[in-house]
Amino acid sequence: MTPLTTPVVDPARQASPEPEVFAGYELGAAYDEMFAAPDGPRAHYAALHARLATTSPDDFRQRKAMTDLSMREDGVGFTVYRAEEGIERVWPMDPVPRIIPAAEWRRIEEGLVQRITALNLFLWDVYHEQRILRDGVVPARLVLQGGFFRREFVGVDVPRRIYVHICGTDLIRAADGTYLVLEDNARTPSGVSYMLQNRQVLKRVFPSLFNDYDVLPNDDYPAALLDVLQWIAPPTAAQPVVVLLSPGIYNSAYFEHSYLAQRMGIDLVEGRDLFVDGNRVFMRTTRGPRRVDVIYRRIDDDFLDPLTFRPDSALGVPGLVNAYRGGTVALANSVGTGIADDKGVYPFVPDMIRYYLAQEPLLPNVETFRPEIPAERSHVLANLDKFVVKRVNESGGYGMLVGPASTREQREEFRAAIEANPRDFIAQPTIQLSTHPTFVDGRLDGRHVDLRPFVLCGERVTVTPGGLTRVALPKGSLVVNSSQGGGSKDTWVLADHDHAPAGGVS
Amino acid sequence: MLSRVADALFWMSRYLERSEHVARAVDVTFQLDLDLHGVLADPVELEWNALLSLLRMPPPEPRPGSTAAAAAMRWILVDTRNPGSVLSCVNRSRNNARSIRGSISPLMWRELNKLHWRLTDTGLQARVAESPHDFCEETRIGVLLFHGVCESTLTHDESWHFIQLGRYLERAEKVLRILDSRYALLDSGDTTDLPIATLQWGAVLRNCGAYEAYRRLFISRVEPERVVEFLLVNPDFPHSVRFCLAKIVDSLAEIAGRLPDRCDDEASRTVGRLLADLVYLDAAGLDGERLHSFLADAMVRCARIGAHLQRQYALV
Repeated sequence: MTPLTTPVVDPARQASPEPEVFAGYELGAAYDEMFAAPDGPRAHYAALHARLATTSPDDFRQRKAMTDLSMREDGVGFTVYRAEEGIERVWPMDPVPRIIPAAEWRRIEEGLVQRITALNLFLWDVYHEQRILRDGVVPARLVLQGGFFRREFVGVDVPRRIYVHICGTDLIRAADGTYLVLEDNARTPSGVSYMLQNRQVLKRVFPSLFNDYDVLPNDDYPAALLDVLQWIAPPTAAQPVVVLLSPGIYNSAYFEHSYLAQRMGIDLVEGRDLFVDGNRVFMRTTRGPRRVDVIYRRIDDDFLDPLTFRPDSALGVPGLVNAYRGGTVALANSVGTGIADDKGVYPFVPDMIRYYLAQEPLLPNVETFRPEIPAERSHVLANLDKFVVKRVNESGGYGMLVGPASTREQREEFRAAIEANPRDFIAQPTIQLSTHPTFVDGRLDGRHVDLRPFVLCGERVTVTPGGLTRVALPKGSLVVNSSQGGGSKDTWVLADHDHAPAGGVS
Repeated sequence: MLSRVADALFWMSRYLERSEHVARAVDVTFQLDLDLHGVLADPVELEWNALLSLLRMPPPEPRPGSTAAAAAMRWILVDTRNPGSVLSCVNRSRNNARSIRGSISPLMWRELNKLHWRLTDTGLQARVAESPHDFCEETRIGVLLFHGVCESTLTHDESWHFIQLGRYLERAEKVLRILDSRYALLDSGDTTDLPIATLQWGAVLRNCGAYEAYRRLFISRVEPERVVEFLLVNPDFPHSVRFCLAKIVDSLAEIAGRLPDRCDDEASRTVGRLLADLVYLDAAGLDGERLHSFLADAMVRCARIGAHLQRQYALV
């Protein structure tokens, strides 16, 4: 960008070119999804890049406005936990899709299948024989004294031995592009409705983007989920009645609950709609009680049943857990899966894969330090400004220290907390997360993204092509959570054949 | 169907119908206000007070720099501190819809949601001070769109019938109440001031969305007795009380899964008897007092229908 000392042509007479949306696009230290180098996009992004480059900022602004309007009219709202009145906010979607080539996706898919398979074997093991603990592969104390271990479920046989039916695993990319597992969400992962909604909206507001690519559809997810839910129904149920149990309209993920229930054609119930009689679960209908066989529950263990867990919970169903133990009703996910996605257990997942499957993990973990080990603790404490420190029992981007972006006070606060309870923390080197062109302030700029694919485990393990790409909208921010100012993108997995993207753009 | 869903469908529909009535009443009062402005001594306050009492709303707090009419319109249309305002009704309808999004068609939700967003537009709300017409029109169009979408996209099963129950029960009650607010005019016998009587009875018809339909049927001046008869017992007009009750009878039968002539539940019996009384009503022989007692009794019975519904279908 050397300034020209003498104009080549009189600027007044030059046909004013459309301002270029990529002007001033900066590449940082992070891996950029679209650009390998400043002068050119990666091959699988070339056609998209060409199309975007000829889109004027005004056109872009218009499409972005259509996206927002579309989201608002569909009521794709979520509630922010810490906002005063639970104000409805619309989930911001960026109209530039993220693209994953077929070969890259195949690797991700295999890695995820491997991972959820190991997690399910681990859960069955810790609730039965506890071999992995006796063999010392995972510290027994870590599991048995973890806040998410449900001793009430030791020895209980869950349907088809599946604990985690629905898993959302968060992937990030290191500076060299390697996909790393940041965390597993094996309790009640959310976001899949946004994945589906984003595709619908993008097709509406920017259909021309789809012309140059063969994008794998993701629309089968609700049907695949219903297959899983029916697969785990008690064998006595010929035509199983499946319901989705939601905490109600004030829950931040309520949109997703109603969306999925509708797409599956099942009833969305709240705790007060259900009751247990004779250790069997029923719902209250206009024609009297109706038997329920499978519950896709979007309520955490703690709130599921006041008789078993938190007695002050008004969201759950008294007696539900006992009915589940008795096998008269199935739950997805099962009770007690929190021990599998506990951040304290996370560092041991690669070892679980080796232990149960005798395979090398296809998707590596992020390097993780455990302050409870003295040597690692001193290393972490000495480098707090370089690490991301997380509380093991928090999620959603809360209770986190991002070292490079932290203040001295915050670091001191965490230092004291780590020294007091080292077991409550893990620390990871700050990974830059990959960046992706995102429409901000009238042009495209790099923003950090992650990827949450959704894995279903029933008769087979399936991974829906794509997933939810979350994007941290503030410049330089590494926190992508919707509750912390994140947005999302449509995520394209390309069809698995040699498809040369159309070169020219008209 | 879940009892909670039935309940939410019923109230979603009821509140929406209510918002339409309130919006129409404001628009009609505003127009009447303009017409009567030069005719009566102090019609402005009078008409707006009459409307507030018809809607059973407390008066708004006086707003400095704002006329009585403007304050009343803001209060009745957009003030969410007023639980009966149009915006409050639409919000409650939408919240009910939201709690059962899976049980209505996506397009129904979308229309209702769009209506909510349109009515919260500050530009539209600001224009209310000058004229409520745009706001009221948006409301009515939104409600009609919603029902049009509902008609064509939702299976006409139990859930559809609960929506009909909410809509027609609310409508019947509102028409009864509008008539009751004007029964005294029937006895005034003041035939000297025909233009004003025409305006006032015209307003009754407009309040019920019945003006044009009435005109097509009776080619003459608006005659009070005919208005009463038309709004109570016309079998074909969608806003007559009789029409509404007949719809309720049908929907109750469909929900219970039986023929409409076998009424073996309390809600059906109550509405059936009221319908029979209307069908055999000697409308010509009604003076103001008798009309009032008939209407008062009918309103009590309508309230009873709602209570029976709650009990029968555990709508809690």
